[in-house]
Amino acid sequence: MSGALEVLNVQVFYNDVIEAVRDVSLTVGKGRIVALLGANGAGKSTLLKAISAVLYPEEGRLIHGSIRYDGVDLTARNADEIVAAGIVQVPEGRRLFETMTVEENLRLGGYALAAAELGEGLERVYAMFPRVREKRHAVAGLLSGGEQQMVAIGRALIGRPKLLILDEPSLGLAPQIVRDIFDIVKRLNAEEGLSILFVEQNARLALAVSEYAYIMENGRIVLDGPSADLAGNADIQEFYLGQAKGGERKSLRDLKHYKRRKRWLA
Amino acid sequence: MDYFANLVASGLIFGSLYGLIAIGFAVIYKTTGVVNFAQGEVMMFVLYFSWMVGTFVAAPLWLLLLIAIVVGGAFGALLERVFIRPMIGQSQFSIIMTTVGVAIVLRGLVPIFWGVESEPIDAPLKSQLYEFGPVMMLGDQIFALALFVAISAAAWAFFRFSRVGVAMRAAAHDETAALLMGINVRRLQGLSWMIASAVSGVAGVCYALIVARAPDMWQIGFQAFPAAILGGLDSPLGSAFGAVVVGIAASLSEGYIGYGLKEISGFVIIIAVLMVRPYGLFGEKELERV
Repeated sequence: MSGALEVLNVQVFYNDVIEAVRDVSLTVGKGRIVALLGANGAGKSTLLKAISAVLYPEEGRLIHGSIRYDGVDLTARNADEIVAAGIVQVPEGRRLFETMTVEENLRLGGYALAAAELGEGLERVYAMFPRVREKRHAVAGLLSGGEQQMVAIGRALIGRPKLLILDEPSLGLAPQIVRDIFDIVKRLNAEEGLSILFVEQNARLALAVSEYAYIMENGRIVLDGPSADLAGNADIQEFYLGQAKGGERKSLRDLKHYKRRKRWLA
Repeated sequence: MDYFANLVASGLIFGSLYGLIAIGFAVIYKTTGVVNFAQGEVMMFVLYFSWMVGTFVAAPLWLLLLIAIVVGGAFGALLERVFIRPMIGQSQFSIIMTTVGVAIVLRGLVPIFWGVESEPIDAPLKSQLYEFGPVMMLGDQIFALALFVAISAAAWAFFRFSRVGVAMRAAAHDETAALLMGINVRRLQGLSWMIASAVSGVAGVCYALIVARAPDMWQIGFQAFPAAILGGLDSPLGSAFGAVVVGIAASLSEGYIGYGLKEISGFVIIIAVLMVRPYGLFGEKELERV
């Protein structure tokens, strides 16, 4: 598919024994916003790391499956080749180079660019985030969480990626900042046609922002569909949105709940 | 007073030799997080090998220096490729022990190939005497000092301003994040070994010029290591400065207190300094937002 990310039957092991992702397939079409939902430890971040080819620093290995982008097989490529192909990830917890200045961080995002492109990219990011321009000579580690997230996103956008991957951009941020961040993400998608794949714990927010969503549990994708449909799905409402049928609160001891959820994994 | 001034000058000269090795420690540590305990041995091996090539083509000093830089770079790349890269993913401790192993092998190889006789470099520079007030210096000593200052400044500028240098710092800080920037971290790690070994080659030439080539010259690694720790192992310029401090302290303690203190004075200083600043004088402190 042209311009699409296609992940097919991917399996990832850590230390060759711990299976973190099993037989996962997903597609992010050109210009789409796709959400990846799931509890902690479901394998969402691992899947994103597999796409960006940054499993090896954590002893992770892609055992099986393929990752294709724009029709090109990227499965065994190095991280820098993935970035060159236009897939850039903002990692969980932002991971800025904290002892460096904001501008040094942004310049690193444009590591592979020619000098002129880099200058143009910096201007574009500063225009998008005036707050980042104000702080460009500040040490990145001393910025607030929201500012750091803007720098992290700006750093990813310097090289004009085609697919932006965001791993929990809302982590540790105040609700208003989270809304701002997602407004920016939606704007990038609408105005520049940037494809977006993001992981999010807040299901309500994720389903509102995305067009399509995948739900992961225990390393597998258990449910997927257009976000509007998922938001109306009774199971999703119960397990992720905290709404019980008929508006009454359900007891955690409810056996049916457990059984229904277990059925997903069968 | 003249005695004091001359001791300081001699400390400065030896400090510059330590400094060139210490910069090598810092460049590798800053990029890869590995302490290369073979730095002094690499210097010795690169010097002996370059000397052999230099003798073959009857090279003057400047050409010998150039040969040492090229041989050093190639040897550094070889070491990284053969011993370090296959260790990626192993514990830091295993990698450091590998460098200790490389060190011991190199110590053994040099006398096997080139014998145990010590031999000075013959250069016209050596016979020129310069007087600065009470201090007297030989031409070769000034040459080594000047090289040290130039290389320190270059290392500082490289890590501060060049794109590759900044990327090396980024890779040391957070490898995964650096990979996500599209930085080819493995290539940079190889490059850091090349740079460190090339600088060690320069150190070897300076050492042979000032003292002599000898199969025990690797021991200055033991002076350079406390120097690098003192200045901050992740700061090439700091390491260079630490080397000057260690060199002068070694020279003064030997001159005023007694022979034998030269070897331990550096370690005495780092014990004292690290109690106050555990990341060294110029090392990067972990940032914490409050």
